[in-house]
Amino acid sequence: MRTIFFTILFLFFAGSSGAIELTYWTSSNPEEIELGRLLVSQWNQSHPDVQVKMQPIPATQSSEEVLLAAIVSKTTPDVCSNILPAIMGRFTKSKAVLALNAFPDYEKVVIGRTGSKLADLFRSRDGKLYQVPWKCNPVMLVYNTAIFRALGLKPPKTYSDFSKAAETIAADRDNPGRWAMAVSIKTTWWQRLFDFYPFYVAATGGRTLLCNDSAAFNGPGGVAAMTFFRDGFKKRYFPMLGFSGNIFLEGKTAMDVAGPWAIKYYRRLKPGFEFDFAPIPVPDSYKGPVYTYGDPKNIVIFATTKYPKQSWEFVKFLTSKEADLKLLELTNQVPMRSGIVSDPFYGGFFDKNPLLRKAARQAQYVVPMDESQHLVQILDIISGQFEAAAVYAVITPEKALAIAAKKTQALYDYW
Amino acid sequence: MTTGDERKDAIGYAFTAPYILFLLVFTAYPLLFSFYLVFHSWDLITPPEYVGLKNFYFLMHDTDFWQALLNTLIFLAIHIPAQVVFSIMIAMALAEKIVAKTFFRAAFFLPVIISGAVVTILWAKLYSTDTGIFNQLLGLAGIAPVKWLTSTSLAMPSIAVMATWKNMGFYIVLFLAGLLNIPAHLYEVSKIEGTTRWQDFWHITLPLLRPTMLLVVVLSTFGAFSLFIEPYVMTGGGPLNSTMSVVLYMYKHAFLFQHMGYAATIGFALAAIILLVVLIQKKYLDSD
Repeated sequence: MRTIFFTILFLFFAGSSGAIELTYWTSSNPEEIELGRLLVSQWNQSHPDVQVKMQPIPATQSSEEVLLAAIVSKTTPDVCSNILPAIMGRFTKSKAVLALNAFPDYEKVVIGRTGSKLADLFRSRDGKLYQVPWKCNPVMLVYNTAIFRALGLKPPKTYSDFSKAAETIAADRDNPGRWAMAVSIKTTWWQRLFDFYPFYVAATGGRTLLCNDSAAFNGPGGVAAMTFFRDGFKKRYFPMLGFSGNIFLEGKTAMDVAGPWAIKYYRRLKPGFEFDFAPIPVPDSYKGPVYTYGDPKNIVIFATTKYPKQSWEFVKFLTSKEADLKLLELTNQVPMRSGIVSDPFYGGFFDKNPLLRKAARQAQYVVPMDESQHLVQILDIISGQFEAAAVYAVITPEKALAIAAKKTQALYDYW
Repeated sequence: MTTGDERKDAIGYAFTAPYILFLLVFTAYPLLFSFYLVFHSWDLITPPEYVGLKNFYFLMHDTDFWQALLNTLIFLAIHIPAQVVFSIMIAMALAEKIVAKTFFRAAFFLPVIISGAVVTILWAKLYSTDTGIFNQLLGLAGIAPVKWLTSTSLAMPSIAVMATWKNMGFYIVLFLAGLLNIPAHLYEVSKIEGTTRWQDFWHITLPLLRPTMLLVVVLSTFGAFSLFIEPYVMTGGGPLNSTMSVVLYMYKHAFLFQHMGYAATIGFALAAIILLVVLIQKKYLDSD
C-alpha cells in the first residue's frame, strides 16, 4: 500500500515539473506547422523550465478574424507569428499587444536583424514597435517556363510586354483556350493584395494606399494599374473565374501572381512543374527599381501573457539566424533579415535554391500595407471599384478610383 | 399553499431552469445587447461609445443597404414561388404509387442534409462561366457560354435556382404530410362526380393544403431573408453588388469592418421588414 502511495506521489511531482507554459500560435499552412513543430521542439529541449505549446490558428476566411475574436474573449496566446502588420492599428488601440520597448535589448535584436529602414515601416504612430518583423513573401509574377520557352517569350517587364505575351499565348493554335493569367473576380478584400495592390505599388515606385489618412491611390499609378486589369479582362487575357483553382498548374494559364511560398505549393501539387519568378510588370514609362507588396507577417507578444520575459526570449529564438535558415528551408518564405542575400551563412541555401535568391533580392524592394483601422474596409471599397472598372468595365478607372477615394474619406469622417 | 404544492413548484422550476437559462443566455441577452448596440458604436475590442441615432441616420442614407434589400427581395420573389410550385409538384408525384418511392423521397431530401458550404462550392464550379460544366454542355450544343454568376441580371436568379434545389426537400416533406392528411373520401366523391384531376387539385388539394402552404411560405420567407452562405461563397456579393444580401451586408459590417452597432441596426431593420412581409403573407394566405 505504502509503495503505491509513494509511486502516486512521485508521479504527481514528476508530472507537475513547475515549468512555465507558453502558448504559441502559428499559421495553419502545412509548411509553417512543420517549421513551428521543429522550432518548438528544439526550444523545449533546451528550455525545460519554459515549455512552449504550439497551436495552428484555426482555419477560417482570414486569421485576422480569429485573432480579433481571441482579443475580445481574452484568449490570445502568449506569442503569435502570423500577424498582418496592417491590422496592428486595432491591436495597439485596444492595448492587446506588448510594446517591445519594454525589453532593453529590443533595438539590438530587431534593428540588428531587420535594419532600421525596414523596421521603421512597422513602427506604430506612437513611435513604438509592437511587432517583430519576421518574414515576407514578395508578391511577384510567376510564369510557366515550358510555355514561355515553347512560344519564344521572355518574362514581361512592362504592360506592353505583358500584352504582347498575352496575345502570343492566345494565338497559340496548339493550345486553344489558354489564358495569360487568372485574376480573381471575387471582391473579397484580400484578393486585391494579389492583383491591384502589387501592380499599384510597382507602378508608383513603392507607394502605399494612404497618405496622412487620405487616399493616395487615385493618382496616375493607381489609374495605370486599374487600366492594366481593365484591358486584360476586356481583351480576354484573364478568364472570368469565380474559382481559379489550380489552372496555372494545369497549364490553362501561363502566368500567376504569387509569393515564394508558392514554390513548395506548386512542387507539392505538381512535381516537375517548371516555373520562374519575375518582377511585377510596370507601366511602359516607369523607370527605377520595381517595388512590390511584401506580404509580411510579423510576430507579437500579446498583453495577456503572464510571462513577457520568457515570451521575448522565445521570440528571439524564433528570429535567430538558425531559425531563419529553417524558415527558408521549410517554408520557402524570406526572413526579414538585412543582408541575407550576401550572408555566407545562407549562401549554400541560395545556391541550391536560385528561385529563393530572386525572392530575397526582391525583398529589398517591398512595402507593407498601411496601418489603418479602416484598412479592410478600404480594400473592400477598392475591390468593389476594381470589379466595376476592371472586371465589368462599367465605369472608367479614373471614376472608380475617385469613388473609392471619396468612400475612403467618408470612413474617416463617419466611423 | 401547502408544503406539497411548494415542493411541486420547486420541481417545476428545476425542470424549466435549463430552458430558462438557455433562453436568458442565448436569446434574451444577445437580443437586449443588440438593442443596446443600436445606439452605440463598437469595434469589438474597445468599449462601446454612445452615438444616439447616428446608426439609423447612416442606415437611411446608406445606398448599399437599400441595394442589398432590393437584391434580397428579388431573391425572395424568385425563390419562394419556385420553391412552393416545385415542392407541391414533386410531393404530389411522390404521394402517388410510383416505383422506388422511398428512394426518390430520400433522394429529394438529400440536398437538405448536405453542408450548405459544400453544395455551394460545387454549384459555383458548375456555374463557372469559362470552365463550368453547364457551359461546357451548352458548348457541345453550340450554345454560347451563359454568365450564370458573372452577369448582374443572372447571378441572383442562378443563386435562387441553387437555393431552391437545396431547400426543396424539406418543403416536399411538409407538403407530402399535408397531402397524406387530406381525407381520401373527398377524392372518391369527386371521382363519382366525374371531375378532372385538375379540378381535384384546384378544388380539393390546394384549399386543404393552405395551412401547409402558409407554413411553407413563412418558413421560406425567413430562410430567404437569411440568404447568406450562397452569395458569401459563390459571388462574395458580386457582380457589382447584385447578389449582396442584407445578411451578408450585415455580416461584413459586423465581422469584417467591426461596425457592431451598425450591424445591430441593420439586424433590427431586417427583423421589422420580415415581420411586415410575414403579416402581409398571413393576411392573404390565412383567410378561410
